Amino acid sequence: MNKLMLLFLIPLFASLMTLVLKGISDKALKYLAFILSLLPLAFLLYHQEGWLGTSVSYPWLPAVSVMFHLSMDELSLLFVYLTAILVPISILAIYIPNLSYPNFFYALVLFLQALLIGFFTAKDLALFIFFYEAMLLPLYFIISIWGGSHRYQAALKFLLYMFAGSVLMIAGLFFLYFEAGGSTFNLEMLAKISENAPHAGWLFAIFLLAFAVKTPLFPFHAWLPDAYCQAPTSGTILLAGLLSKAGIYGILRILLELFPRMLQEWSPYLLGLSIAGVFYGGLAAWTQKDFKRLIAYSSLSHVNFILVGLFVWNQTAHEGAILQSLNHGVTITALFLVAGWLEMRIGSTIIGKVSGLAKFLPHLCWLTLFFVLSSVALPGTNNFVGELLILFGLFGQHPWLTAFLALTIVLSVIYMLQWMQKVYFEAPSFYQTSWIDIRGREFLVALPLVLLILWVGIYPSPVLKLIGESKLIMEENVKITALEHKL
Amino acid sequence: MNMTLGAQDFAALSPLLILLGGALIILLIESFAEVWAKKLSFGLTLLTIAIAGYAVLVAPISVNSLLTPWLKFDFLAKLFSLLFLLIGFAATFLSSAFFQRFDASRGEYYFLLLAALFGLLLIGSSADFLTLFLGVETLSISLYVLCGYMKKWEFSHEASIKYFLMGSLAAAFLLYGIALIYGAVGSTRLDQLLPAYQQLATGSVRVLFLSGIGLVTLALAFEAAIVPFHVWAPDVYDGAPTPVTAFMSVGTKAGAFAAFVRVFFDALPRFNLLWNEGIALLAYPTLIYANFVALRQTQMRRFFAYSGISHAGFLLIPLAAGTPDALSALLFYLVIYVLATLGAFAVLAFLDEHSEGVTLKDLHGLFYRSPLLAGLFAFCLLTLAGIPPTAGFFAKLYIFKVAFAEGYYSLVIVGLLTSILAAYYYLRIVSVMLTEEPEHVSVVPTWPAACVGTVCVAAILYFSCFPAELQELLKGQMT
Repeated sequence: MNKLMLLFLIPLFASLMTLVLKGISDKALKYLAFILSLLPLAFLLYHQEGWLGTSVSYPWLPAVSVMFHLSMDELSLLFVYLTAILVPISILAIYIPNLSYPNFFYALVLFLQALLIGFFTAKDLALFIFFYEAMLLPLYFIISIWGGSHRYQAALKFLLYMFAGSVLMIAGLFFLYFEAGGSTFNLEMLAKISENAPHAGWLFAIFLLAFAVKTPLFPFHAWLPDAYCQAPTSGTILLAGLLSKAGIYGILRILLELFPRMLQEWSPYLLGLSIAGVFYGGLAAWTQKDFKRLIAYSSLSHVNFILVGLFVWNQTAHEGAILQSLNHGVTITALFLVAGWLEMRIGSTIIGKVSGLAKFLPHLCWLTLFFVLSSVALPGTNNFVGELLILFGLFGQHPWLTAFLALTIVLSVIYMLQWMQKVYFEAPSFYQTSWIDIRGREFLVALPLVLLILWVGIYPSPVLKLIGESKLIMEENVKITALEHKL
Repeated sequence: MNMTLGAQDFAALSPLLILLGGALIILLIESFAEVWAKKLSFGLTLLTIAIAGYAVLVAPISVNSLLTPWLKFDFLAKLFSLLFLLIGFAATFLSSAFFQRFDASRGEYYFLLLAALFGLLLIGSSADFLTLFLGVETLSISLYVLCGYMKKWEFSHEASIKYFLMGSLAAAFLLYGIALIYGAVGSTRLDQLLPAYQQLATGSVRVLFLSGIGLVTLALAFEAAIVPFHVWAPDVYDGAPTPVTAFMSVGTKAGAFAAFVRVFFDALPRFNLLWNEGIALLAYPTLIYANFVALRQTQMRRFFAYSGISHAGFLLIPLAAGTPDALSALLFYLVIYVLATLGAFAVLAFLDEHSEGVTLKDLHGLFYRSPLLAGLFAFCLLTLAGIPPTAGFFAKLYIFKVAFAEGYYSLVIVGLLTSILAAYYYLRIVSVMLTEEPEHVSVVPTWPAACVGTVCVAAILYFSCFPAELQELLKGQMT
């Protein structure tokens, strides 16, 4: 069978298997689910470069010309790798004794993995929208069943907000379909006519809205704090690490390929919004008394930073944005992971309830510090390379904005280190028996993230090469120079 | 000129005759031996419907000129007959589940159910307005009685009377419309309408014809519960016993749209674009009103009334488009709607305890009492909401495509926006099921309802993965 089809089907069957398997202990089920979620990663690494150019194409609903068309190019490969690495970690992040209905939980996570793999490789616009909306369902259930005290409202708000933002895409979809002659939804075919279609501005706005809600771009972030905080740790990792990347991937795949000129026209306004988002996220994070909410706002801030890179019309900035989205996925997963471990030990997420934990939890403290330093873009960590590229790209066009934006890095240092200080480094509170330090098992879970952070931070060139070779970036170079000549 | 009906003709008529025969046998048994009726009527009904289903599949086509002016035996008729028999089958199972909890005489009930099915099959195979009228009336009269079947429930009496009064009014409109059309064209045969219309010379005769069509549309819109002719639906669905509501919400809806298909896709395809515009104008208030009011419902039967009205609004969209592709889209959506609603009612059958039916309060924490039931219900609701990866998404995609192709852009956009509202009220129920508050509603396992639920969900799952199969199944009817 086709490699790519197999890659898509493996997590799907794994999900079915974990759903129906009864009679094995919870621990064994967790490890089985973990092994199953690693299969896509193993499969990816086994074939290495052989993935580029593979594709699958079946007619799925001929009446509406929907083709099940998946194809792997460099950009898709990067995001599929991210999915393959982060989903296993999210399975390990769950705390066993409290987990009700474990079969259902692992089945949902593995189903989400299949949907994400399908999403990142879909090359048929109807299929793309199908996966884009379908991935919301597993997360809705994960938040609703295993989340915090206000989980029902948070989950409902999350799903409805996303659905409302993306539902008009179907109208845009059909408009493009009939403009292109009414026979195919293939992205390449649509790209030929999309820019010149009538009402192209409205189409652009519709698609932009859908991606802006998911990422989220600054004014459309109202769902974020509640959804991130009420979700269980695994759910937050999946939301922050993977779902926001889906929005960014959407902007790269659809807006950049189908509406480049419009993107360039609107980029000043979008740039303004994303910079506002970076500041808003940072300032809101600074005022938080709850560290999970703090990291959520920090994630908002960093994602808007990535969007700054996307909305600057410069190839370096785009490369930096793609790299930074991968980096952000890794770092935010790491941050929510250690926050989850901390929450498990101190029993709440309020900052200031206990302090001086470095005395009792030294390993957790240093691991958290490492991830915090990675998040604030310390040179040598992955975020440094990504953010540097974005700032470099921005500098070429708006030097003063770059200086302004660089201040946000200082802002992130402030709120992150303030959190570390308040929780770990002030006068120690009275010891409680639940404060057991993290052991080798947790270190093993965090190890791949540490290695990735250091690898991309110290030796980013393989990843950068893959990004640079992506057809998107190469075509873009041509488009950018052509557009600049026109101006 | 045929004077007699031969064996082949009777074979072609066999589904109708089998249903009629089965119904009369059950009535006879009920009249003379009520005890036997209680034991046997369920099995007899199932047997009747199964044999009738088999007959539909193997029946030959009749070309006898005694039959062809009245009944059609084409692929569309077979398709509708099979759909209606499937609905009847499921309704029988759900009724059996209902009778396990609430005691009532069974023979009359199953007789009326079979009679309603007979009416539905007549609608699906009609070749003449009079057959259509006969089918609609048989269906309606059986349902008037079925709504008020539980004699001790007072609100059932109210629902039944309401339905009877308004249904009679609608029947009067239908008949009057048919009469006007007859006056304009000189025949009530459906296949002679289009050529006759195209030859209509003077304006006043055209007006006569169009008013007739308008009245017929009005009457059929009443049956399908389209705004502003929907007023009967919430009260009637609420007052009827749950299996009757299930039958009404899928059977009457499918029957009404079968009538629409027979008259306006088969006989008069795109005869006057003004009519299509009119249908689009009906779709707007239906979609908007139904989706807003459904947000406030807590009683499940009433909720499914509004859900049905909103889906009728969606089904009006391909009706407005009017192309052969639109017919495919309508049938596809109808099948998915039938499967999902039957699956949902199957779950409700497990929870039906009081005469008021299941309320939102009863669903609290259903997930923790019975994850399987909650999962099935959630799946059916998500299909109705049209959220991917369920087959409901494909159904909506298909109807929006055909509407877009004909230029009904704003209708599509209104449809999409009201889908958001729909997603909210369906998800609210899913949310309620996931809340932790325990409720003391007993979940009674009933194997008939379990069968219906499993088959429906399995079918929807299959069509979610392979939607082309359903589409192929429904094709070939208008080549």
